Amino acid sequence: MPFFDALARWLGMKKKEVNVMVVGLDNSGKTTIINHFKSPETKNHDIVPTVGFNVEKFKSKSLAFTAFDMSGQGRYRNLWEQYYKECDGIIFVIDSSDKLRMVVAKEELNLLLENPELKNRSIPILFYANKMDARDAVSSVKCSHLLELQSLSNKPWFICASNALTGEGLHEGVDWLTDQLKIVLQKKKK
Amino acid sequence: MLSLKRDKKEEEDGGGNPFNNLEKSTVLQEARTFNETPINPRKCGNILTKVLYIINQGESIGQTEATEAFFAMTKLFQSKDPILRRLVYLGIKEMSKIAQDVIIVTSSLMKDMTGKEDQFRGPAIRALCSVTDHSMLQSIERYMKQAIVDKVPAVSSAALVSALHLGKGSQEVIKRWVNEAQEAVNSDNVMVQFHALGLLYHIRKTDKLAVNKLVSKFSKQSLKSPYAYCLLIRIAAKLIEEEDAGSESPMFDFIESCLRHKSEMVIYEAAHAIVQLKNTTAKDLAPAVSVLQLFCSSPKPTLRFAAVRTLNKVAIKHPAAVTACNLDLENLITDVNRSIATLAITTLLKTGNESSVDRLMKQISTFMSEISDEFKIVVVQAIRSLCSKFPRKHNVLMTFLAQMLRDEGGFDYKKEIVDCIITTIEDNVEAKEAGLAHLCEFIEDCEHTVLATKILHLLGREGPRTPSPSKYIRFIYNRVILENAAVRAAAVSAIAKFGAHCDDLLNSCVVLLERCQLDTDDEVRDRATFYVNVLKQKQKALSSAYILNGLQVSVVGLERALHQYTLEPSEAPFDLKSVPLATQPIAEQKVRDVPGEVPSSKPTQDKVAASRQDVYQEQLAQVPELANLGALFKSSSPVEVTESETEYYVQCIKHTFNNYIVFQFDCTNTLNDQQLERVTVEMEPAEGFEVIKYIPCPLLTYNKPGTTYTLVRLPSEPTQDTSRKHLSDQVIICSSNLFTSLVTGTFACVLKFLVKDCDPQTGEPDEDGYDDEYVLEDVEVSVADHVQKVMKPNFAASWEEVGPENELEDTYALSNMSTLEEAITNIIQYIGLQPCERSDKVPEGKSAHTLYLAGVFRGGHDALVRAKLALDTSGVTMQLTVRSTDPHVSEVLATAVA
Repeated sequence: MPFFDALARWLGMKKKEVNVMVVGLDNSGKTTIINHFKSPETKNHDIVPTVGFNVEKFKSKSLAFTAFDMSGQGRYRNLWEQYYKECDGIIFVIDSSDKLRMVVAKEELNLLLENPELKNRSIPILFYANKMDARDAVSSVKCSHLLELQSLSNKPWFICASNALTGEGLHEGVDWLTDQLKIVLQKKKK
Repeated sequence: MLSLKRDKKEEEDGGGNPFNNLEKSTVLQEARTFNETPINPRKCGNILTKVLYIINQGESIGQTEATEAFFAMTKLFQSKDPILRRLVYLGIKEMSKIAQDVIIVTSSLMKDMTGKEDQFRGPAIRALCSVTDHSMLQSIERYMKQAIVDKVPAVSSAALVSALHLGKGSQEVIKRWVNEAQEAVNSDNVMVQFHALGLLYHIRKTDKLAVNKLVSKFSKQSLKSPYAYCLLIRIAAKLIEEEDAGSESPMFDFIESCLRHKSEMVIYEAAHAIVQLKNTTAKDLAPAVSVLQLFCSSPKPTLRFAAVRTLNKVAIKHPAAVTACNLDLENLITDVNRSIATLAITTLLKTGNESSVDRLMKQISTFMSEISDEFKIVVVQAIRSLCSKFPRKHNVLMTFLAQMLRDEGGFDYKKEIVDCIITTIEDNVEAKEAGLAHLCEFIEDCEHTVLATKILHLLGREGPRTPSPSKYIRFIYNRVILENAAVRAAAVSAIAKFGAHCDDLLNSCVVLLERCQLDTDDEVRDRATFYVNVLKQKQKALSSAYILNGLQVSVVGLERALHQYTLEPSEAPFDLKSVPLATQPIAEQKVRDVPGEVPSSKPTQDKVAASRQDVYQEQLAQVPELANLGALFKSSSPVEVTESETEYYVQCIKHTFNNYIVFQFDCTNTLNDQQLERVTVEMEPAEGFEVIKYIPCPLLTYNKPGTTYTLVRLPSEPTQDTSRKHLSDQVIICSSNLFTSLVTGTFACVLKFLVKDCDPQTGEPDEDGYDDEYVLEDVEVSVADHVQKVMKPNFAASWEEVGPENELEDTYALSNMSTLEEAITNIIQYIGLQPCERSDKVPEGKSAHTLYLAGVFRGGHDALVRAKLALDTSGVTMQLTVRSTDPHVSEVLATAVA
């Protein structure tokens, strides 16, 4: 029924679907960010450390996201790569108040970028410098500096400070990601 | 058109199973579809089914392949399709054992488990528990507790069952869920109640008191679920079994009250539990049996089957109790379900009287061909018990067994029949000829080598003693012509036995055996040559020793002795006498009544019995003072010389050597504040015995057994060493100046030691000690310690072989014995020889009996005893005749009973 699908999409009833992966160190706020995007009735009120992964769905203004919310705990990080292949975008969440482990985050990011599945793909990466409300949080600029994002050239990326508890800054990031993904999808069509 | 036809044909070939010729690699290849987005639930569901199918077909999937498929499968969590999701749960459960990193799905499953979709929750819990390892258990504990008390029964049941599975690994975590399980027991749902009770029992099963409480608590408050009741009955029955209690136990009252439950399941379970209990009287059984009787006439075949199967089992233990159901069982004989009918008939055979046997046998033969081997064996077992119960019916039964032998059947079935015939032949003299004839016929067309050799061995043993032995030779010689090497060898041995036993057949047998000397097989040729040469000597004694009675040494011992001999080659020829004799296991007589007859079961028994003596021999050889006493002749079984709850616990084992006895005292110090040193047992020898040496146990600490030995020289040297070879040549060298027969005696024993007090906690002893002693019970040395039991399969031949040179005869009145059985048991106990030819069993109703005993006296002298017993009003009169290769031995044995 491709015809009906196209019709529905044209009418704006059915949105295009994209897969994104949400990664980052443990306790950086990945599940909380995803939780924020969910509709009020499906929202989860108590967030526990994720073991393995969770699949969540949410919508932005013109795309339907399927988010693979990965566990950030050390012993599960090596499992991220299992899901690289199918994802269209990556959301990398950083705990901006945890300066100590910024190096760990940098290392994980490098591993991710070096992965053969992602290395040569121009896949958009959205960075959330989360917990911007914390007192000793570093700014998003400082953050990108610490992660040496300036050297990241073959992929579109964007960093924004966020507060997952209040939702501050989250939509800004998702809007950017939506635009990027749309470009990618259009390219694919051609 | 053509293609259409082909399609149709393929369809027919497939037999309707779309998953028929699946290939593992293609299916796993297809599983990559799971990675595509968006997901097509129908297609993925179909592929996942295929994956599950091949796993369940027993196809083994490697770890890497499985992991890849597993991760692909995890992507299906994107889809909300209920069918696909539930298939994913199944897939996770299957893969959890083979794939790596299955823990990845934990959060997804936890989400489903706590989600709103009830359909997902139960399966999610089960899948979660299969991927969780014990380190992760803590994190899901809260959710599990909630799930156990969930109001949806499926969720609650799933959580309870999963908890049971988890409990196999880590009992500790599960123990904390007791309160939730308690709550779940009160659920209205039958399954939840059952599972909750199961979990509660599992948690408490190590604590007997708690289980007791559990049962008494729930037996008072009535449970709703019949399943839970059944479980409770099983727990209660197990408790009764463990406590060894009978019907007086409160648990029994509970089980009995369940007989009046409204659910059939519970009633059956209760009846089954009652009849399985060990200590029950006929009165206890009555209500249970009557319930089963009621079930026999139920319209439901399952109930009928259950009832008749249980009755069948009870019939062995309590035939009288089942007799009441005979009428109902009669009705079941014609049941359309063959299993029910077979069980009914065999039950009747077990309980019925002699007159009904013919009728029942006729009935059962009508459908013998329709039932499976398993049930046929049940029938054969029933016939076997019938044979011993109604010896007069052997005619009908034998014919029936022969009929069954001729029919098709597997090895187990045939073996059961042959065993049954052999037992019958041995128990019933009248059945012998008919039975042998049937067996002869059977080996004519027998594909099982084991059975053929077994029957040939039996023919060799029993055939010569029948009125017309010649007719068996043909059957046996046919085997030599037609069969494989193993059977031919057995046949050759059998023919030789005929030749050795029957003088008139001797020449013919030699001719037959001479032909066998040209056989293609080594073993057959060797045997034939050996037998021909022995038989040609025409000496009864030779034939008896080498053909009829065979080798008497323990196989293990022989192997060890030969090995030793090859390691240290010497000029002297190998002495067979240095090999320990095969000990006749005491259990043998009992074993005879049990399935698995003589030839097959004997080697294993010999091995066990020999190794016990071998252990002692090795132990003694390690003590330097005892190493050069020669070969160990006999070790007695341990005798306690103290009460078992005293300060020092001592056991005595007597080891008899040619000229010495070693008393081995195994001592245990049960006082934790004492340490004993230099422990010896001082013995006051009886007249003629001389204590040579004490070998002390240097140190005896708390609860660690130690051993001390006392070496005693036997009073007289009864004879010079005479080897077997001389014996058989009838050359007897006797020393003329024999002491009178002083071989028995009583030894007073005192345990002597140095006591050092010590700290009970640390075991640190004081510096100084003091001497102390402890009086032990007396140790007896009896005639039985000087003889070793030896089985002579052909007693008469051996009797002639030894000859009347050293015969002693005497008559005794055993006034304190009232039955022949009692007298026989006592005689065997005093003399310590092996009863031969089943003469220790007295046929019923006879007032006279002859007991044959055989063995070897210390020093290697054959000893044979014939005791003619007669029962009269004043007691048992016995005429005892002793023959031995040594006059001294005869004397000793003759006086043993007196």
